[in-house]
Amino acid sequence: MTVGSYLLRRLAAIPLTLLGASLLVFAATVVLPGNVARTILGREASDASVAALSAELGLDRPLPAQYLSWLGRFLTGDWGTSATLRAPVRELVLDRLGASMLIAGIAFVVLVPVALGLGLLAGLHHDRWPDRLISGVALGLGATPEFVTGVVLLVVFAATLHWFPTSARLPPGAGSLDTLWHLTLPVVSLVLLCTGYVARHVRASTVTVLASPYVRAARLRGMSSARLVRTHVLRNATVPAASALGVQLQFLLGGLVVVELLFDYPGVGALLLRSATDKDLPTLQACAMVLGAAYMLIVLAADLVYRLLDPRVRLGGAR
Amino acid sequence: MPHARRPSVRGRRLVLGRRAFLGATAAAGLAGLLTACGADQGSPAPGAAPAGPPRPGGTLRVGTRPPATSVDPVTMYDGSSIALVQLVAEYLVWLDEDLRLQPQLAESWTSGDGGKRWTFTLRRGVRFTDGTPMDSSAVKASFDRLLDPAHKSAAISAFATILGPGGVSAPDAATVTFTLQRPFAEFPYLVSAGNYNAVILKADYAGDFTRSAIGTGPFTLTSYDPSTGASFARNTGYWQAGKPYLDAVDVHFYADDQADLIALQGGEIDTQFLSVASLATPLAGSGGIVVDKAIGTALTAFTLRTDRPPFDRKEVRQALAYGLNRPDVLTSIGSGVGVLGNDHLLAPAFRGAPTDLPQRAQDRAKVGELLAAAGVPTLGFTLTFDPPSRDYAVTIQNQLQQVGITVELDQRTSSDFYGGNQATDTPWLFTTANLVAWAGRAVPSQLITPMVTSGGVWNGSKYANPALDRAAAAYDAAIADQERAAQGQIIAQALREDVPVIVSYWSGTVRAFNGATFRGIRAHPSSYVDFRSVSRV
Repeated sequence: MTVGSYLLRRLAAIPLTLLGASLLVFAATVVLPGNVARTILGREASDASVAALSAELGLDRPLPAQYLSWLGRFLTGDWGTSATLRAPVRELVLDRLGASMLIAGIAFVVLVPVALGLGLLAGLHHDRWPDRLISGVALGLGATPEFVTGVVLLVVFAATLHWFPTSARLPPGAGSLDTLWHLTLPVVSLVLLCTGYVARHVRASTVTVLASPYVRAARLRGMSSARLVRTHVLRNATVPAASALGVQLQFLLGGLVVVELLFDYPGVGALLLRSATDKDLPTLQACAMVLGAAYMLIVLAADLVYRLLDPRVRLGGAR
Repeated sequence: MPHARRPSVRGRRLVLGRRAFLGATAAAGLAGLLTACGADQGSPAPGAAPAGPPRPGGTLRVGTRPPATSVDPVTMYDGSSIALVQLVAEYLVWLDEDLRLQPQLAESWTSGDGGKRWTFTLRRGVRFTDGTPMDSSAVKASFDRLLDPAHKSAAISAFATILGPGGVSAPDAATVTFTLQRPFAEFPYLVSAGNYNAVILKADYAGDFTRSAIGTGPFTLTSYDPSTGASFARNTGYWQAGKPYLDAVDVHFYADDQADLIALQGGEIDTQFLSVASLATPLAGSGGIVVDKAIGTALTAFTLRTDRPPFDRKEVRQALAYGLNRPDVLTSIGSGVGVLGNDHLLAPAFRGAPTDLPQRAQDRAKVGELLAAAGVPTLGFTLTFDPPSRDYAVTIQNQLQQVGITVELDQRTSSDFYGGNQATDTPWLFTTANLVAWAGRAVPSQLITPMVTSGGVWNGSKYANPALDRAAAAYDAAIADQERAAQGQIIAQALREDVPVIVSYWSGTVRAFNGATFRGIRAHPSSYVDFRSVSRV
């Protein structure tokens, strides 16, 4: 299968997958107990008031009608209004997605060289103290939840030393340096969390590559260590890292709920959590759709990168 | 994804997941960590004793949770929305930090017809921020709006059986008369901030408060973003000469209480609308932070269904009440901010609350005697609650286990717990035993009438006692303080004896602020906001 046809096939599958996801989200929302009208009016509102608001929101219609009504509007670009925030969902979700992409992008740009470098270093010094140090620290940091590292970073570097702001929320018209200053602590928190996972993949593949016959042969031919790493180890060892980085990028885009809450950052993860808790269906569905699409595009990109790094890999079939 | 229905309850014991455990640990450690990092721990609180004339000017930066939904004074119920509105709009009567009535848009009030008719004289010369005079037509329209079911205000519940549609009249521009359905001696509390929806809005208010927030309050809303926060500027035409002292108030929304607290510690905000006692209290005196405290009337009611086993026997309910170690509950759950409860609904902070009833305390021997008398040698039951009451539920489970009573915990999501139909199946009104957090009220009747009178709209215990019903009606009608106190005594004794609801403590509130930069910030029993007298240090 050529890259072009593979790409087309994967892209064509995205809308169908999203349709299935939207049905699942809708079903989960209606099955779980609770009522958005009660959330809006509070528990002390009368049942009659809640019933009236439910009718205004269209929640008294049959479920298929509710779903099809939402789907029809969504496909025509009308994403509706958030039931609880009373704000247009399209702007709300896309603004938040842009904010999440910004922080995820910066974290990813920092994560790749740091994780690759540490993984390589550990692999090249297999079973010696740099390996043990890097592996131990990476494992420890990876196992420490972001709300712990985040709180420590905030208390030390923001609340006490005042080197960074406690809020990552960007002021209007923030320039590049101001943006970096505001996002430093959440980015560090994320990089600390993700580095271990990727570095361990790189380390393991580096060790494997170093033990392979062709590397031993190259050594015997007198190839210098630097050239060996550059021409053989680096490329082969980073192949498995591509999929690991893809997984991390998916997490960085939509799984940042804790970091967004802790660092007061208006990302799509926090919005997803809030809309799910409130049963705010239009917002929840829109978040699910954009995040679902982003996830699938990231997976596709990771597969293509994998193919690029390793031409032996066949797209869409067995290797 | 929404929370699972019962996310962390396995079997009979509440088991915290790894993430929840670590989260709780982080929260518990946060205060200590922050305190440890404080620059001048132990220094005297700079804002504790205001001195000298106020210094006008400055911007007060406030942190709070995002409002639960779009801010609308008619339907609001969460603390952030209420505080935002209270910066802009006002009540006929303010309820101060000691739960005393203070004239605000009404200068005075009188009652007639045995407490069935109340006449309020409005303050003259007050204008809304768009220049419209604040007169009786605006006041009448404001209350008509609250009483109209089409506007879906929870205030209807507060006025139930007391004031109905058509009960408000405006005989002249400066007078408003309320004709009640039954005598109610404490009616001014129901038109005060104690009934938080009862702000006076323009007659043509159309439900677009955050886009055109027009009130008579000390500040005007200049910008609002549901995700980020709100900005307020001084109302230059405010009716109280010289006030407010502040030029502006900037409100910043924090979805996480820890982030809110760290922002205070880091100096990025100056105070909070809704300080969390367990987080803020340890910071007092650290880095200039002052934590003001108020005794409140909020409670978490441990409600027992009196119409079904095992709690249809009074002795069983009393056994539970004697099984709890209240001082420990107050310390661990109430952060020591509050007062002990005595299983009745007349909080010590209420005017004329009974003071001579013996304080109920843990008595293990009595628990055994009562259960034996009820013919229930081994007692076990399920306690239903939502996440905010989880720590209290676990404490109850542990304390009752020590006296041989087994409690199975049933945690629901808040939307499940308060969802359903209030007339037929909602968990908070229909489960055998549950924990319900009640916001502070201005008068005991706002708790007694709905919670424990026969047919009360939120009578989760299904308690029915004709003698208490009569006393509650007499309490509401009693004009004289002595008579009201006598009826209050009857109510308190009946509740303490019959125990439809266990009240182990009354919550207090705290408000943390930077005392090095601002003064005049006070905690309020209901976390209400009055920044008129706040000034720079």
